[in-house]
Parts: sequence; C-alpha cells; structure tokens
Amino acid sequence: MEKLKIGGLKQSLELCQFDLKGVHSSEEIASKVSQLLLSQKINMEFLTYYPHRNSYHQLTFCISQDKFSTTSEILKKEGSLPIGWEINSRGQVGIITIFPHQSAIKILGVIMVSWAAQSLPIYGIATSLSAISFVTDYQLIDKAIEVIQNLFQLPEDHAPLKPEIRYYQSDTVKGD
Amino acid sequence: METIAVYWEPRIKTYGFQRITDLALIEFSSPLSEIKSLGKMLSQDDLIVLRPKFILSQVSKHEISFIFCLPLKESKDFHLSLEKTSSPIPYRYIHPVSIIYFHGPHFGDRYGIANATFSSLAAAGIKIIASGCSSASVFLVLAQHDIGKAEEVLSETFEVAK
Repeated sequence: MEKLKIGGLKQSLELCQFDLKGVHSSEEIASKVSQLLLSQKINMEFLTYYPHRNSYHQLTFCISQDKFSTTSEILKKEGSLPIGWEINSRGQVGIITIFPHQSAIKILGVIMVSWAAQSLPIYGIATSLSAISFVTDYQLIDKAIEVIQNLFQLPEDHAPLKPEIRYYQSDTVKGD
Repeated sequence: METIAVYWEPRIKTYGFQRITDLALIEFSSPLSEIKSLGKMLSQDDLIVLRPKFILSQVSKHEISFIFCLPLKESKDFHLSLEKTSSPIPYRYIHPVSIIYFHGPHFGDRYGIANATFSSLAAAGIKIIASGCSSASVFLVLAQHDIGKAEEVLSETFEVAK
C-alpha cells in the first residue's frame, strides 16, 4: 500500500512536562502559571489549556528539561496554585512535530494505532496551522520517529530531524 | 550546538492575528487502554475529507481527552462517526466558537508570550474555552461573541509587524 505523504518531521530537544489539574477556580490559572514562569524567565515550548471541561480543568505545558527543579519548586510553593489543584510531572519528554500535507485526522489516527502497538505513549497533542505536535517519552523518541518514518513518505530533501541550534534568551540587553 | 539569542522588545511583535469563525468544538474522552480503538476510528477513510482547524489532546492518569474544532457541517459528520463506533464515544458539543491565532519572531524560543496573552485576556474578562501553543503558534478558542474584543485586546498587547 502506498504510504501517506507528509511534508516534514522534526523533534525537540529534551523537555519536561507539567500537568496541573483541578476543579473550577475563580483564578485564571493559565495567567497565574505563565506569570510564575515569566518571573523565572522560563519559556513554555508547548502548552494545552482546556478550562471548559465539566469535571475538571487541565493546564499542560512543556519546558526545557534543565528548568524542571526550578519549576517544581515554584509550583509547589504555597499559594502558587488554587487550593486542591494537583501537579503531575514527567522529567523527560520530547515533542515530535509532523507537517501533514492534508489528512490531519487520518495521520493522527494512524500514529495513535501504531504507537499504541509499540507501547509508545502520547502525553499531549496540539495542532497549529500546518503541524501536529505529539509529546512523548524522550527516552523512546528515536523509536517513535522510526515508526513514523516507516508509516509515511517524507520529501527526499527533508531537513534534519534534530534541532541544530538551541536558542537561549539572554538575561542582559546591550545597547547599540 | 549553542546559540545565545539576545532578544528584547518593549512590545512583543507578531505577524498579525488571524480569525476562523463559525466553528463547532467537539470534546470527547476515552480510557487510555482504548487508545488503539480510538486511533482506528480516527483513521477511517470517510473522515479524510474533514479539515479540523484545531486539535488538542490532554492525558490524565487513565484517560485521553480530545477537542476538535471543525466547521459546522464537518462537525456533524464527525459526531456521526463518534456515534457509529461499536461502543459509542460520549461527546460534548459547543457551538458557535471561533479561533484567533498568531505567531511572531522567535515564538517558541523565548519566554513571556503565554503570559502576555493570558494575562491581557484575563484582565479584559475574556474567557478562554481552549488554547494550544505549539510550533511557535498561539491558538485560542473563544466564544464567537468574544473574538472582536479579544483581537482588540491582543492588538494592544502585541505589536503587529508592518
């Protein structure tokens, strides 16, 4: 059977993930948590927020792995989160981003089936205009990429999968 | 492999705000143990024509939940598929919703963008139905009647590159 074509594939560097879950709160949790991370100059590389669910609300985000301890500490500090909110974290995750030409739902379904068959976890998904991003276990990311490469046809002149440049935002601003 | 980017702006720049209106949001969940069956349902050929404008999935201990934002007509086809499965998947339906999305220079590499977004909307009393930030883009799902005000607030917070 002919493989479905995709426009590209890339993977992130090593990240960590926090899932914050709680019942309805009058506080704007996304605003509050993003303020806490801003105070530590921490970039969120991935975020999903769904405060509209009936039973509970969830904010999930991924940040650079080296910020795991700092972030755990600030979130666990009394008063950081509304009372009753729980924090679950994963120390090592990575993001695989796929650029489908079309058929985003089918590509999503095929990956769910194939990863489940190989016991590869999905910890979160978000789409943008041209991409689907999957959060998975960083230690299994090479296997997860291999499964995708076997399922889909990539362009021949495909760019490298792994990032070649890591950006840091400097703490200091120099004048001209 | 290390690049230090020195980046600072008095107002964070974006390439502009885009809207998608008249959408329906479908929310459904499944036990994690059923993820393969759910994947099979989503990979059916009759869903290939659907063009979701936004998908988000969150995972908790035993469950995976999804939201799909689709044009109204497509959302009806999609919920029929959810009902046709051997063990029908319960879902929730919100309509009408709209999406506003944007991206900008070094989104994804720098801190402060999520805070600028969420804090300004919260201060203006705009409720977010759902949001996803990935691949250097910010997607916000809002009630349809909030979309104009949201764009106004975000345009004051961010600088739109000319």
